Order: sequence, then C-alpha cells, then structure tokens
Amino acid sequence: MPATTKPEGTPVKELLRRLSKLSPYLWILPALTVYSIFKLYPLVSGLQMSLLRWDGIEEPRYIGLRNFEKILRDEMTLTVLMNNVHYAVGTVVGKIVLSLLLAILLHQALKGRTFYRTSLFMPVVMSFVVVGVLWSWLFNPQFGLINSFLRGLGLDFLVQDWLGDAAVALNSLVLVDIWKWYGFHMVIFLAGLQSIPDELYEAARIDGASVWQQFLHVTLPMLHPVMIVNVTISVMGAFNVFDIPFIMTAGGPANATNVMALHIYIRGFKFYRFGFSAALSYVLLVIVTLVAAIQLKLMTSGDNTD
Amino acid sequence: MSAAQFTGQDSKQQGIHLRPILVTLFNHSILILFTVIIVYPVLWMILASFKTPGELVSNIWGLPADPAFQNYADAWEKAKLGRALLNSGIISIGAVLVVVCLSSIAGYAFAKFSFRFSTVILLVFVFTMQAPVPIIPFYVLFVRLKLTDSYLGLILAIASGSIPLSIFIFQAFFRSIPSELREAAKIDGCSEFAAFLRVVMPISGPAVATVGILTFVGAWNEYFLPLLLIRSDELRPLTLTIQVFFLQFGRAEWNVIFATLSIASVPMIVVYIFLQRWFIQGLTSGSIKG
Repeated sequence: MPATTKPEGTPVKELLRRLSKLSPYLWILPALTVYSIFKLYPLVSGLQMSLLRWDGIEEPRYIGLRNFEKILRDEMTLTVLMNNVHYAVGTVVGKIVLSLLLAILLHQALKGRTFYRTSLFMPVVMSFVVVGVLWSWLFNPQFGLINSFLRGLGLDFLVQDWLGDAAVALNSLVLVDIWKWYGFHMVIFLAGLQSIPDELYEAARIDGASVWQQFLHVTLPMLHPVMIVNVTISVMGAFNVFDIPFIMTAGGPANATNVMALHIYIRGFKFYRFGFSAALSYVLLVIVTLVAAIQLKLMTSGDNTD
Repeated sequence: MSAAQFTGQDSKQQGIHLRPILVTLFNHSILILFTVIIVYPVLWMILASFKTPGELVSNIWGLPADPAFQNYADAWEKAKLGRALLNSGIISIGAVLVVVCLSSIAGYAFAKFSFRFSTVILLVFVFTMQAPVPIIPFYVLFVRLKLTDSYLGLILAIASGSIPLSIFIFQAFFRSIPSELREAAKIDGCSEFAAFLRVVMPISGPAVATVGILTFVGAWNEYFLPLLLIRSDELRPLTLTIQVFFLQFGRAEWNVIFATLSIASVPMIVVYIFLQRWFIQGLTSGSIKG
C-alpha cells in the first residue's frame, strides 16, 4: 500500500493495525522472557550482591568495593588465575593441533573413514562425570591403566602419581579435557575442509606447490573462519571449566588444579561467602570478555595481512 | 588434460608409485593409534564393569574370567539408577520441548519478519550466550522463585542456556524455506501462526532434530546445574547420582562404579552410533553458522 493512503476507519481498526505491528515481538516474547529472567537478570543482579558481606542466611551488610579489594590482595586469586591460564593454553593448543591433524587425515579418501570418524568423536557424547570418574581410575598410581602400560613398556621413569602430584595434576586434567572434546573440534574442521574447492589445490599443484606449501597457503587460510570458531569455543570452555577439576581433584593437591569457576563455587557454597563469590564472578566475567576480545582482534587482524 | 601431464611428469621419478602407498600406510597408522587411545578406555570401562574387585587389580588388561553380572544388580540398587534414569529422561525431554517450542517460534520471527530492534536483540544473544553466569545471583534467583529442587527449575535453567544457539539454527533453516509457501497458506485463509504450525513446522524436521539432539545431549550430560539446584535424593539426575555414589562408595567398590558408568554412557553411545549424522550436525551446525 502506498504510504499516502491514511489509515482510515474506526478506532478498533486502528488498534488492530497497531497490534499487528507488535506481533513479531509476541513471537519472540516467550524465548526472550525465559532468557532474560534466567540468563540476563543474574548477570546484572549480582553486581549489587558483590558489594555485600553476606553468608546467604543473616542480614547482608553493604561494604562497598571491599570484596574486590580483597580479591586483588588475595594471593589465591593469582594462583587460581595462573592455573586457569595454564589450563587454557594447554587445552586450546592440544585440541586445535590434534583435531586439525586428524581432520586432515580423515579428509583424505581413505578406507574406513566413517569408522574412524565415529570412533574418534565418541567421547563428545559422554558426560564429564563419566569421563572424570573413569580417568580417576585410569590415573590410579598403583592399578591404573596408564602406569600399568608404562611399566609394561619398561618406561618406569615416566610412572607418576598423575592426580596426586601437584607438579603434574593440572596437566593430567588438561589431557582428559583434550581427550573428551577434541573430536568436536575435529568435526568442525572437517566441515571446513569439505567447503574448500578442489580447484584451489589443483591450481596450487600446477604452480608446483608441495603438500606442505598447499597446507600453508591453501588449507590454513581457507580454514581461517572455522579456526576462529574453534579457538573461541575452546578458550571460552577453558575459562568456564568446572566439572573436570571438581570431580577429579576438587582443586587439589594444594590448589594445584583450582581454577576460577571452582574457586567461585567453593567460596560461595563451601564457605558461604556469597558477596565475595559474586564479586569473583565479575572478575572472571571481565577476564573472559577481555581474553575473547583480544583473541578475536588478533585473529581478525591476521585476516587483513593475508 | 592436466592429469595426463602430471602422470607423465611423475613417472620420470623412480619409486614414485611407492609414495602414495606409504602415505596411506602412515595415515592409517596415525588414525588407528588415536582410535585406540579414544576407544580403548571406553571399551576397558565396559569390560571392567564385569570384573570382580580382585580382578580389577590382578587382571588389569585381560578379559573378566567369569563375568560378574552382580555388579549391575548392585549398581542398580545401591545407586538407585532406575530413579536417576527416569529423572534424567524427564529433565532432558522437558528441556527439549521448551527449547524447540520457544526457539522455533522466535527463530521464525527473526527469519521472516522485519521489526525494530531485531538486530539489537540478536547481538545481545551473541554477546551474552557464552558469558559465564555469576552463580550466586543465579542461585538466589532460583531460591526466591522457589524453583530449587524441582524439575521445572532445572529444565528452565538448562533451556535458557541453549535458547540463543537454537534460535540461530532455526533462523538459518527458516531463511532457506521459500516465502511462497507461507504466502500460499495465508491466501488459503491461514493466519500467520497457523501457517507456521501447519505448513512450515511439518517440513522443518531437520532443524527440529538438530536442535532437539543438541539440547538432549547437553541436558542428559549436564552436571553443574543439578549440583547447584537439586537437593533431594529423589530428584537427582544420572550425572549427580553417579558423582554422589562415587564419593560414597567409590574408593571401595570400583567394579560397581564401572557398572554405573556403563549404564550411564552405553545407551547414549549406541544412540549416537545409529543417529550420528544428526549428532554431528547438531553439535557442529550451530557453531559454524553462529
């Protein structure tokens, strides 16, 4: 209808016309309501709680920014944060390298491709609780599969107390996380590889590019968008990790595997320091946002130089 | 053609025909190595669930001498797995229903209607969906709404997390459906919503399956939210039940633990093997488009 025709008619019609303009909002209202109440509201309402001294039972007391001050002074904060950075670097590098390697192998015309893919993806559908409990036993220093395997090969010097030794425990958890999740990243890389047109490789071959050169100058640049997705998801996952350390080591020994999400949970629900825990959540939120922003910035500016 | 040119070039070098075979051999050996690393622990878990406590320490690598089915009976009874499976089923199916209903309707609006703030709302989803929610205000909210220790509370908690990604998946799918279908239905006298329900949804099986499986796997495996929100034994889903059982009996009865772990994961693995196309699509499509 041309805009010049005035919406003539009764007030009822006018009301109906206005209502029909509202109708798209009615479609998104249910989803938006649930999301706003359970996801957005806690993101905001916690700010006020982070300014309180509160054990969840007695009357809360307003203490200003004291919780944040304590967090900055607490040596534990740095320990936990560094553990988390260590965990993030280990899992992200491990997952990306391994999943890219296996995706490239699976992308070849090979016999048994479906079998390999099915098997390699399997841990993704398992629960972290199952994976965590299972690996607690595999890492058992006396009877576990890992040490038994190493002894069998005569590699006794590699035998460790995988979860009990503060020097190796965090890396053991990193291994479990890689084992559980790399299949997910592999399948995403595989989808990315399938979208690269064959002509690009043919052109590269005609130019005399070696397999390695093809990987560097065709595969990697073409995988860039998928790489951003994979790195972002694994970085976020690493800074949100809770299940594996909680189930396998409870943050021990001596806080060697304590990470941010676990620290927040323990302060809140073991020591009932609700205000302090809420404040910690915002510290984590700021860190995660910064890390994500820096990582995206770095990865997308690399785009321009190509 | 260039192919002929290549074979001509290749045959100049001696032993070139050996190379592809070696490459294939190398590829297979790497893949087999990692398949073993991935599958063997799971297989071992299932074998261990049939061993006696003595065998677990004396016969680490071998098959169980005499399969101890008793482990499964013990696991079922001591860990109350029947109840736990029922709870996990109710929670997961509930979450799938909530997520599919809410996000298909919203996804359709984002795909087919133009309205103010639609981009802003989508951007809010993108920027907040991965943010770690502060658990104290989250928990306090559920206490105040009296939604702790209830199926409904846990279902809403799980659903709210997967709504944004599901909306994106539905939106992308609905964009690919020609608008003529909807127009035709409307000419036949259908209202917009009736057209959506009777014409669009029946051909949206792939998107429903993708979102449904993604949500189901996530809800079935969810551990943190039940840990935070569920107090009473009768409402514990499988994941929480296993962890509580592990803390109670774990150190003493590992064979029963392995039976519990097998009951928890084997059904999901079997379903995955049969429906793997949907699993892989569900777990990856959102992240590629999003």
